[in-house]
Amino acid sequence: MAIPLVPKLLRAHLAELAAEDQRHDGRGRFVGRDTELKLNCLPRAEGSAKVRMGDTIVYAGVKFQIMTPYPDRPNQGGLMCSAEVRPVAGRNWEPGPPSPESIELGRVVDRGIRESGCINTEDLCLIPGEKAWQVILDLFAVSDDGNLFDAFALAGIAALKSAVVPAERFEVGEDRPLGVAKTPVMCSYHKVGGRFVYDADKREELGGDERIHITLGDDDHVHSLQKGLKGIFTATDFAEIMDQARSRCAELRNLIDEKLEGE
Amino acid sequence: MKGGWVARLDNMSGDNGAGGPRRSRQAPPLVAPGDDLGDSGGYEAGHGVLAINGRLRALKQGRMSNRGGTVSIEPRRTAYVPRPSDLVIGYIEGCTSNIWFIDIGAPFNAILPMSLGPSKAEFGGIRKVLDIGDAILCRVQEVEENHSSVVTMKGMGLRAIRTGSVEDIDPHLLGRLIGRGGNNLRQLKEDTECRVIAGDNGRIWLDGDLSGIVDARDRLNMLLTEAKIEEYRGDA
Amino acid sequence: MGGYGDVQCIDENGIRLDGRTKDEVRPVHIETGVVPVADGSARMTWGLNDVIAAVYGPMEAHPRKIQRQDRAVLDVRYNMAPFSTTDRIRPGFNRRSREISKVTAEALESVVLTELYPRSKIRVEIEIICAEAGTRCAGITAASVALAHAGIPMSDMVVSVASGKVHDIVVCDLNKEEDNYGEADLPMGILPNSGELVFLQMDGDLSPDQFQEAWDYNMEAAKVIHAEMVRALKGGDE
Repeated sequence: MAIPLVPKLLRAHLAELAAEDQRHDGRGRFVGRDTELKLNCLPRAEGSAKVRMGDTIVYAGVKFQIMTPYPDRPNQGGLMCSAEVRPVAGRNWEPGPPSPESIELGRVVDRGIRESGCINTEDLCLIPGEKAWQVILDLFAVSDDGNLFDAFALAGIAALKSAVVPAERFEVGEDRPLGVAKTPVMCSYHKVGGRFVYDADKREELGGDERIHITLGDDDHVHSLQKGLKGIFTATDFAEIMDQARSRCAELRNLIDEKLEGE
Repeated sequence: MKGGWVARLDNMSGDNGAGGPRRSRQAPPLVAPGDDLGDSGGYEAGHGVLAINGRLRALKQGRMSNRGGTVSIEPRRTAYVPRPSDLVIGYIEGCTSNIWFIDIGAPFNAILPMSLGPSKAEFGGIRKVLDIGDAILCRVQEVEENHSSVVTMKGMGLRAIRTGSVEDIDPHLLGRLIGRGGNNLRQLKEDTECRVIAGDNGRIWLDGDLSGIVDARDRLNMLLTEAKIEEYRGDA
Repeated sequence: MGGYGDVQCIDENGIRLDGRTKDEVRPVHIETGVVPVADGSARMTWGLNDVIAAVYGPMEAHPRKIQRQDRAVLDVRYNMAPFSTTDRIRPGFNRRSREISKVTAEALESVVLTELYPRSKIRVEIEIICAEAGTRCAGITAASVALAHAGIPMSDMVVSVASGKVHDIVVCDLNKEEDNYGEADLPMGILPNSGELVFLQMDGDLSPDQFQEAWDYNMEAAKVIHAEMVRALKGGDE
């Protein structure tokens, strides 16, 4: 990813707004952009979701493959999560091998989902030591206007929850829902003008400092954390956003549940 | 073919017979690239129009107009291409010991030589005057054949921008922002008590109280949303 | 081309698997402005094909060696998303995508007035979100609309469509089964206002008469698709 120029004026202006507890688009400090979630929008995927947060648009698609289980876990299948931010998504995203930024995106989302234990990998085993399902979650950005992390995490878990194991196509039994027991969701906070805000857009990312990503599962269990970019934060800062993350994650979980019920 | 109504010069004259003045109320017709605009006889091909084999052809998506025999297209979207004497807002992107490189939102960076800079810059010390990331209000002095350009800060009101906020809009919407005879822009300044300077490259400098800037930005966004809605009304 | 296989693509009444007659085009819908951060963009759904094209630029051409002193270069990338087909596609380098990117760039360079932007590049990104035969045609068509939406001057838009042959019957606008089990595939890139061509490929086996029939189907289909492209551009962003 090409590093864009950071206008000093933008940083100064964001700081000025922060001092008055305002944001440049008029949102409150912990208010997210309008979030749209659409399920089963990719006919060729076994589970899929599209998320739109402001002008950030992403897709998530689930595919299945048959794999040989790893020797140390002969009765378990696998989960793989990969994020791709291709140059379609913005001026600064470049072609070529995955950039460190997109690898970080994929890995942080992956950890949140994997560590929540929402997928029972033993359920994915077909013949111990020989055959098991590999679940592949592909995250794909169409338009990057900031906070791809939350968009990817939301689309990712929603796609998994709507996924159907294509056993008939592989001639290994009957199709069945993947069965995702928990709903880990991510909330990201960027430090803009000296204080953390939720769901930063591109302009706030450009003129801001460090970011913190929090993935919470059911019952507010913490599943993954990541601090990115240069910057220093305090325990008080963290306690405040953790508190905010709990209520926002619950809202997002409800959004997923509503959509799943509507299907 | 179900292509819908294609704008042609031949059918632009309205109801009152060929050659009569076009009714002013009627929105100029929309065209798409490749549309045939009619016989080129007696017409001049203006912006976004190509005369080819005795016919006029649209090169862009937009509204066709015919002023004084010159047929042109007012594009719906367009990239900023610098022209001499344009007032633009740029960001310092880099420098050598006597030249600044300026991002003016055009396909190519512009250069600002030390001699055209704001004040007594010294060779090798130009970052003390304007540093990377600074915003400047400048004027395009010269555009070369290959589209690289030179900007100057010598002139009335040209300066480094150290306060306020710079907003980006699509350059083709500037006309709407400024309004007939500058009316909209004047109104915006009066209502928000802000200094508003619209660069030809679509960057708008808002300066004043924070509340004024926030207000001005809201109005700017509203105007642009309206422009977008209006553009599409009646096109179906 | 896998021969007849065991799939019957056309029934005895001349009706195809998706209910079309042999000269019918799949339903086409185009909208613009689908990538809000791009300078121009379009999405084309065509049967089950779902294609997004985004345009960035003109901008300075990097690296320097790709610069042309007298014109802009079109930097076209055709890519299939991993979840766009039945079997997942591994991201990364792919000879097929490279070839399609190249012929797409050449087709579009034939209509874009590149000489107006010397030394610059115009990035055209084509992403296949869902594939159902004819993605290269959908890609070229969507890219044309995205370029027009970005305000890039072009002498005409390119409409691309493929006809072919299945069970020895020439059919217009191949679908997935016909592409897999058919005997020939003839994709063309047509300039709708002049009937000229900027893109042509073919593989398979066609008699001279069948070739002419497929050619004529493509020409007719181009009109239908062009009408939708124009509607999308004049109807505005959705």
